Amino acid sequence: MASTACFVIVSKNDIPIYEAEVGSAPKKEDMSYHHQFILHAALDVVQDLAWTTNAMFLKSVDRFNDLVVSVYVTAGHTRFMLLHDSRSEDGIKSFFQEVHELYIKIFLNPLYLPGSRITSSHFDTKVRALARKYL
Amino acid sequence: MFRPIHNSDRIVEGSNRAPHCAKRSLLRLHLLGTSCPSANHSDLPFPTRSQRGEAGTPSAMEPGLSIESGSAIRVAVLPVGGTIPPPRLREYAALVARHARVDLASLRTYYSEHQKSPFAHQPWETGCLRLKFVLGGCVPSPWEDFQSSRKVLAVIGICHLPSSPDLDRVAADFVDAARTYPSALARRCFAFCPTDAQMAGKKRDDIIMFPPSDQQSLELHMVTMIQDLAASLLMEFEKWVLRAESTGTILKTPLDSQSSLGSEEVIKAKKRRLGRAQKIIGDYCLLAGSPVDANAHYTTAIELARLTGDVFWHAGALEGSVCALVVDRMGQSDPVLEDEVKYRYYTIIQLYRRATLQDNAQRVSPVSFELEAALKLARYLCRRELAKEVSDLLMGAADGAKALIDASDRLILYIEIARLFGTLGYKRKAAFFSRQVAQLYLQQDNAYAAMSAMQVLTMTTNAYHVQSRKTSKINHDSSKEPRASSSDSGKVHPQSIASLFESQWSTLQMVVLREILMSSIRAADPLSSWSAAARLLRSFYPLITPAGQSGLASSLANSADKLPTGTRCADPCLPFIRLHSFPLHPSQRDIVKRNPRKKEWWTGAGPSGPFIYTPFSKAGASSGTSKQEVSWIVGEPVQVMVELANPCSFDLVVESIYLSVHSGNFDAFPVSVSLPPNTSKLVLLSGIPTQVGPISIPGCIVHCFGVITEHLFKEVDCLLLGAAQGLVLSDPFRCCGSSKFKSVNFPSISVVPPLPLLVANVVGGDGSILLYEGEIRGVLITLTNAGTVPVEEANIALSGKNQDSVISIAHSTWKSALPIKPGGEVTFAVTLRAWHLSSADLEADGSRSPASSRRIAREGINPFLNIHYAGPAANPENGDISLPPGRRLVVPLNICVVQGMRLVRARLLSMEIPARFTEAHLRPVSGKDDISTGNDTERTNINLLKMDPYKGSWGLRLLELELFNPTDVVFDVDVAVHSDDINVDKRVISEGNAGDAACHKTRIDRDYSARVLIPLENFKLPVLDASFFVKESSSDEPLGSRAAAIAERNAKAELNASINNLISKIKVKWHSGRNSSGELNIKDAIQAALQASIMDILLPDPLTFSFKLAKNGIATNADSSKDSGNPSIHSSEGNVGPSTGNVLRCDDPISAHAMTHMVVQIRNNTKEIIRMNLSISCKDVAGDNCFDENSATVFWAGVLSDIHLEVPPLQEVVHPFSVYFLVPGDYSLQASSVIIDATDVLRARAKAETPDEPILCRGSPFHIRVVGTA
Repeated sequence: MASTACFVIVSKNDIPIYEAEVGSAPKKEDMSYHHQFILHAALDVVQDLAWTTNAMFLKSVDRFNDLVVSVYVTAGHTRFMLLHDSRSEDGIKSFFQEVHELYIKIFLNPLYLPGSRITSSHFDTKVRALARKYL
Repeated sequence: MFRPIHNSDRIVEGSNRAPHCAKRSLLRLHLLGTSCPSANHSDLPFPTRSQRGEAGTPSAMEPGLSIESGSAIRVAVLPVGGTIPPPRLREYAALVARHARVDLASLRTYYSEHQKSPFAHQPWETGCLRLKFVLGGCVPSPWEDFQSSRKVLAVIGICHLPSSPDLDRVAADFVDAARTYPSALARRCFAFCPTDAQMAGKKRDDIIMFPPSDQQSLELHMVTMIQDLAASLLMEFEKWVLRAESTGTILKTPLDSQSSLGSEEVIKAKKRRLGRAQKIIGDYCLLAGSPVDANAHYTTAIELARLTGDVFWHAGALEGSVCALVVDRMGQSDPVLEDEVKYRYYTIIQLYRRATLQDNAQRVSPVSFELEAALKLARYLCRRELAKEVSDLLMGAADGAKALIDASDRLILYIEIARLFGTLGYKRKAAFFSRQVAQLYLQQDNAYAAMSAMQVLTMTTNAYHVQSRKTSKINHDSSKEPRASSSDSGKVHPQSIASLFESQWSTLQMVVLREILMSSIRAADPLSSWSAAARLLRSFYPLITPAGQSGLASSLANSADKLPTGTRCADPCLPFIRLHSFPLHPSQRDIVKRNPRKKEWWTGAGPSGPFIYTPFSKAGASSGTSKQEVSWIVGEPVQVMVELANPCSFDLVVESIYLSVHSGNFDAFPVSVSLPPNTSKLVLLSGIPTQVGPISIPGCIVHCFGVITEHLFKEVDCLLLGAAQGLVLSDPFRCCGSSKFKSVNFPSISVVPPLPLLVANVVGGDGSILLYEGEIRGVLITLTNAGTVPVEEANIALSGKNQDSVISIAHSTWKSALPIKPGGEVTFAVTLRAWHLSSADLEADGSRSPASSRRIAREGINPFLNIHYAGPAANPENGDISLPPGRRLVVPLNICVVQGMRLVRARLLSMEIPARFTEAHLRPVSGKDDISTGNDTERTNINLLKMDPYKGSWGLRLLELELFNPTDVVFDVDVAVHSDDINVDKRVISEGNAGDAACHKTRIDRDYSARVLIPLENFKLPVLDASFFVKESSSDEPLGSRAAAIAERNAKAELNASINNLISKIKVKWHSGRNSSGELNIKDAIQAALQASIMDILLPDPLTFSFKLAKNGIATNADSSKDSGNPSIHSSEGNVGPSTGNVLRCDDPISAHAMTHMVVQIRNNTKEIIRMNLSISCKDVAGDNCFDENSATVFWAGVLSDIHLEVPPLQEVVHPFSVYFLVPGDYSLQASSVIIDATDVLRARAKAETPDEPILCRGSPFHIRVVGTA
């Protein structure tokens, strides 16, 4: 189990619609926004990279110090971004794929306005369970 | 103190002395691209030498390096002498720095070849020398032997002579300053603005004076001086190279100095020396502008270094060779060249890395060279197409930051990375590294570093969407076109929608703003800290704890204390302001567009008819109304309602708020508001338009927390829209308990020239006009022209409910007053009649309290006076007459109808007491009454009959009206009965008060009731016709003919008409007080009262009887009926109870003991012949029958009973008889008859129950007074 990981779903409009600290490391307030800064900065790279490949899973696209950003881009250009220290790529890929299925379920909800914040606690629980499983 | 620095891209200040300044200005230029308002940024003049934080190892990294920077000659520019004012210093430095490139061709005049030049391939025609001016100088780098471009090769002193009068001191000062740069090959001291005395003095060699002159000649002078400097440098380079080639030099780097000088090392060093010398010679060739020569030397150096395993110098030589290559091919973009550069630089990076690994054990690491190489390559490649490669290089470089020991090195690395990412278009990456830079700055504890941190952070605000409105406004204009083009490429997201909402990455935004706030407080920049705190509070108040909010409020207040009063800030703080509504001022509401084609110009303006939409209305008009249009008038105050919200947990005091009008034709009036925590408030903002033209009101100017800001309605609307869609954190208005978001469109407002303004004033107070039901009163209305334009035309019409209550308007009065000049007024009268309260109103008014009566008045039941008026048409001389709009004044006639006198009930009374009226009775026997008209009454004037109701009357029918006065005032009541407009009969019988016959008044005190009696005998019809009963009779005939039906209908109508006629003749008028008068509505009540016995009142009896004296056989007119048409003698059948009728009297007294001849006249009032048995009776005062056969007190002659008569229709029959009275006294004669074979009509009239009932008719008693014989 890795120590730090931060998972963020960024909408098409570059707005974070879901955030979760899924690491097992003790949480520090300033670190959590530090993670977000790294993820935010990585969007620039993702923006270019997403158009160069057909794959949804872009692998690790950015890094800062020993933190790596892995990104998964859905067809609707929603980006799943995971900040982690080095760990198995397979696990991350599986994690992203499972989260994608959860996200599609959220998306199918007629009451969910695409691009707005995901507030479902069920989704949150599931994502955290997946993180425990794969990361 | 703070001044903008110009040309900061040319001047590069010493990295070691002042890292922040240099980096900041450069960073700004590169990160922000187009948006570089350098004038807005304050910059520091010259940081002191002690600026560098950590002493320790001198840093290796330099900012702004590129591949070509190996060819630049470093020149230190030092201020010498006395203190130079910063603006002068900037000016001089800019003057110097303008000449960063000196063409070789221009040096010819200053260049003299002393020896054969070692630079064989110098391109004299095309080449140039590059100068890099370092303002303030720099600390000598330990690595300057390794790269000659790091050496300070020349020193320029700048002196401002007015502040340093002593030239000798200046010279000494310069020598001192130059001494710290032993590597300098040339020295010049420039002195500006010499005084006359200094000019006049001896010309000195060590100080070059620039005589005071205009800018152009100064520049020319400077060019000459710089070219001279460059030429001498070139000659020095030649000398140096020749010497180095001949003698050789010992070149060391910090790497070498660290190694122990063992014998092996010394031998190794000797071997390497040649290669290193070649590299340095190559450096000087490059500096001298001869890349071909340099390349040759570098090639040799590379070979030698590779042979000797001098990895570090190998890399250095290779780097030099790339520089030579690039400088040689300057300006060409060649893919082959690019590949070559890329290839060689990757090699260089590899070599440096190897050197780093080799010397890992040492204290000094050359890792900075590896990073510099990576940065140089990245800068060279920095293009959009190679973004991936560049970002890989930069990320690799960023990873190297950990290896850097020196914080300044790390700072420079991050700055360079941020700049390059910015150039690449990676705004967020650049912002990220800028923030790293800022954090490094914040680790240093001084104000300059804090200021640098603040400015670097300010640059990141764009990427995090927390920028100040001041910068975003400028960006907005310039970025409009690029955005359009970039959206085509599909790379840039259309963030236009998202950028409206600031909730993206709120955590980051808050962190950035908080850091800006912190750094600006530390940097003592109150305006920046105010702006940051304002943005933080406004955008993120839901995420900040109450304590944090209060902290921000106090930091706002603290910042404001340090600011001068009246400071403006581009960023609004609290409160949130939205446009609530547009309450039209009463004087605004009435503007009516004039329809020039109609005389009644106001009619076309509004929708006519009952439909809201009419298909006939003009298309233009309907499209015009889709966007609300409002006209404001010059000089007349207007109001706008805005809603303020304070969603925070502290008390907010808005010192002043007023409308912000950019068009400049509006005077806004400030108001001050205090908002408790979590509240919203509606505030009415007002102002006066001052000029004709359109007005746009984008927002409000707010003076809050000591700073003036502009709050735009549009922004709040966007925020609320975002809140509605869940994109924004919170709706500030809803959390304050305000109503739901409702978008209010700001109408397009135009200011029109002054219009007349009429003000209506009801004379006697503007309150409700209190009227009793049915009251008629005149009201005076004064119209005053309060405007500045005369009223030329006007029209007054009625509208609203109860229009019929306005009886008349004195149109002629106001018409004659036109035109009404400004300040003029006209008074005209309006006559009102109060309507009658409905039963519902009466119930509501039951309490009779004034409040409830006022409530009735408010229910919109009042009529209005609609006054349309207009001023003169403008510009009549222009041919096309533009009609200014007219106006409408609505004068509500606030009529408050209160219940007046009330008709309790109306009923029909019949006088059943048989009264025997004689003259004596009619004389003032009743005492208390002054019956002055008694004599008139006796004179057979039956029209005015006064009675004592206690004594009753015979067969009289009276209508009794019971009136009740529930009000607080006294009413006088007149009852008038109009009889066929011939004469007015007034019969007032009220409680003991009978006044003049012409004007009988009944006074009814408050809470008293009174009864008014109206005799009804004057309304009888002349003929008893079958048609009145035709309905009943025709019911027996099922086969009623058509004609009968028509006749029946006619008869019915006639009957109804006569009933109505009767009712309308009765009028009850009242007066109260001095000027209240009215009429009581009693029609319904009378009708109801009469309904039951209408037949009895209206229909005559079938037979009327009258007695007459027949003297000497001639019938004299002694009887009571004045004319035959007056059916004053009644008869009625016996079987129906009450007999009504008048009492007849004989005028002339009849003497006893004399034969009196009389006739009885029987009139048939029907249209059929009547046969009957007549009998006549006489009674004395005791009521005994005088004609009794047994005890007769009166003798008679002729037949008195069982007289069989036949009366033809509408004819009279006379039956004579004679009586002889024995005893004087009062007698009464009465005739009665039994009708034989009565028709149905008669039976119906008699209301006979059975068909075989005898029908009896009886006349009224006829009084006879018998006097004794004289």
